[in-house]
Amino acid sequence: MRICCVSWAVSAMSKSDRLIVAVLDGGLLPDRALVGGKAWSIAHMRALGLPVPPALVITTEACRVYHQCGGELPAGLFDKLMESLAYLERETGRRFGGASRPLLVSVRSGAAVSMPGMMDTVLNLGINDEAERALAAELGNPGFARDTHRRFCEMFARIVLRGGPGDLDPSATPLQWRQCIAATCGRTIPDDPYEQLRLTVKSVFESWNGRRARRYRQHHGIPDDLGTAVTVQAMVFGNADDRSGTGVIFSRNPLSGANTPYGEYLPRAQGEDVVSGTANPHPLNRLTTDMPEVHRELLEAAATLERENGDVQDIEFTVERGRLFLLQSRAAKRSPAAAARIAIEMVAEGRLSRLEALSRLSAEQVRMLLRPYLVASEVEGAQILARGEAACPGAGVGLVVADADAAERAASTGESVILARPTTSPEDVHGMIAASGVITEQGGSTSHAAVVSRALGVPCVVGCGAGALAQLVGRTVTVDGGHGVVYAGALRVEHPRENDSPNLMRLAEWAAAHSPMRVYREGEAAPAPMVDLDTVPGGGVPERLGTILAGVRGAKGRVLASDAGIHAAVGAGLDFVVVPHVLPALLAAVAATRGADQSRVSEDKHGRHGQ
Amino acid sequence: MTAKLAAMHGLAIKKFGTPAAIAAVLGADDAEIAKALGEAVAAGEVIAARGAFMLTPAGQAALAADYRGRFADLRGNAAFVAAYGRFEALNSELKQLMTDWQTLEVAGETLPNDHSNKEHDDRAIDRLGDLQERAEAVLSAMAAALPRLARYRHRLDAALAKAEEGAIEFVSGAKIDSYHTVWFELHEDLLRLLGRKRNE
Repeated sequence: MRICCVSWAVSAMSKSDRLIVAVLDGGLLPDRALVGGKAWSIAHMRALGLPVPPALVITTEACRVYHQCGGELPAGLFDKLMESLAYLERETGRRFGGASRPLLVSVRSGAAVSMPGMMDTVLNLGINDEAERALAAELGNPGFARDTHRRFCEMFARIVLRGGPGDLDPSATPLQWRQCIAATCGRTIPDDPYEQLRLTVKSVFESWNGRRARRYRQHHGIPDDLGTAVTVQAMVFGNADDRSGTGVIFSRNPLSGANTPYGEYLPRAQGEDVVSGTANPHPLNRLTTDMPEVHRELLEAAATLERENGDVQDIEFTVERGRLFLLQSRAAKRSPAAAARIAIEMVAEGRLSRLEALSRLSAEQVRMLLRPYLVASEVEGAQILARGEAACPGAGVGLVVADADAAERAASTGESVILARPTTSPEDVHGMIAASGVITEQGGSTSHAAVVSRALGVPCVVGCGAGALAQLVGRTVTVDGGHGVVYAGALRVEHPRENDSPNLMRLAEWAAAHSPMRVYREGEAAPAPMVDLDTVPGGGVPERLGTILAGVRGAKGRVLASDAGIHAAVGAGLDFVVVPHVLPALLAAVAATRGADQSRVSEDKHGRHGQ
Repeated sequence: MTAKLAAMHGLAIKKFGTPAAIAAVLGADDAEIAKALGEAVAAGEVIAARGAFMLTPAGQAALAADYRGRFADLRGNAAFVAAYGRFEALNSELKQLMTDWQTLEVAGETLPNDHSNKEHDDRAIDRLGDLQERAEAVLSAMAAALPRLARYRHRLDAALAKAEEGAIEFVSGAKIDSYHTVWFELHEDLLRLLGRKRNE
């Protein structure tokens, strides 16, 4: 890492040389506390020899000084910043604020610990009328250059000027956009790219002292003078020519968990085109014919990053004129089935210990794998009574009732009911809690009915059409919340069993070895008498279990189907519990011993101290 | 609004409410709400069951009749109605945000969010904080005409703070005063004040 030091004439400080700007050139790995998580990750990738667009970082030290100076960017910082930008210019062969081959950059905030309320990313900074013309000529694509300009104006107005009109009219001119922004924000977007950068850096530093960031630090005991860094990285252009494009690669398949890289590629496109879904990407292996070198390099990079980070990676990349650039790598989102398979295979490959593998799969993920589902052969001939939008997956069978009170009354007698409403209001929530399924006539997949059903995990179909449901009252139906269909009659619902899955059985065996209490499946012989929490007043409330379970050896009851219930049981020192499915309870019990209920906090603290 | 009708309005928003839950919505005293509900029970407008209360059809009708006269000024208040328009725009955004929070896009498939990806969750909570800042401006504008509405600002912020601290069930949990629960109540309150119909 090439470092730039500057002398400060700040009377309050004794040290005179402070690192305020650094170039991330793959040399010495910088101190994470000084450069923040994002810059550290870029430096780490470069140190591994991976292709990353050139970047520089304004350090957390600069942020501290900024606040000590009462919110002024000292002149020295900007001089150093311009020197470091020259490095980005050399690396890219572009010029920041140049009239030909302009350099555009992304600007991101990044503290050593991520926290809410920090400034979002500004992309395409450096563009103005002149740069737009230059970019249009260079790429032979005036439409793209104009669009890049517009996206920058929208982002800058929203993030830096804290306001703006939202979406700008794509058919208007840049002058009109700037006038529109000036009218709504009271401030305008500077033409000078250096001024754009200066305001953005200030805005990042200001966001460090925003209300939400301060509240978060206070709650988690993070010092206020830790400061945030600012990462400035060259933009690359996936739409430069036919040997350019953008895409995403997962180091393993995130849906099945299979150990085969999986991804998509969109030729001649920028990242936004993939996100906005305006074009259909190709499978990744298209690159094997178009650019086999790039494809090979990409697979190697995915394998390297997975090995280094110890988990499946989701990597965004861009190819510019046949040259690969990695933009971001992070732990991949995955399906519950993939999570189970990956955890097991990474143990077999010697990449994880069994205990580590157990932390890669949550009780909630296993509950999802064990959720009842409709048998396909039954669905085929069934009569469809209504169709709507799928709002919460799952199968629910019951008698249709028309209001929440009726739902609650019927459910209290043990009857399974489906609540049918035109729309739902807060008055209906108690009925939704009691129901085995919810169906509505109006509203889409973001309606309150959908949101509440998902929060409760109740199968739900919304928007079946005005008047479609009244005729169903009093009939028994089956709700398929995953496909948005209501069938006549009670269709057979399959309840998956852990014993049928070798993966789940193996994980249960590993978890049992680390669990602080024994977990028996219902129907297995338990060693001693136990308390049935369903019959004890307050036995359904995790917070009350501590008192109820004092001096007790074993327990069963519905409350033990939740993480909070198992945590309470572990906290009460039970010898054993009896539950319908053992793996979720075992995983929750193992998590309780490592304090995973506070994992979000401790992970962050670990990140901060473990630099 | 008389104490009785105020308590009944709170009950309309917090159905099966206890006096304490209704008092929290209205920013009133528990004992006064309990007393007012007692009067409503005597008048046949509310019934009591297991410590909680609920409006009778007569109570619903009395409340609707009261709204028309009582909130005529508010319904004609251009600043209030304009702020409500901004609330509706935020409401669409909120519902999308809640849906994004509850779902996980994995390689093009939408799955229920099992909260296994911290980055996804942090991002959604961060967006919620951004929305809260804009909602506060709207609520301040509405509270200028009806000070009681400022309560919602604090209740929403309390739910956000819990979510930010790691109690993620306070984003959309249906059985607690989560951000979505409080927002849903606020929306219902506004619809009743203005005599509007819910469209979904």
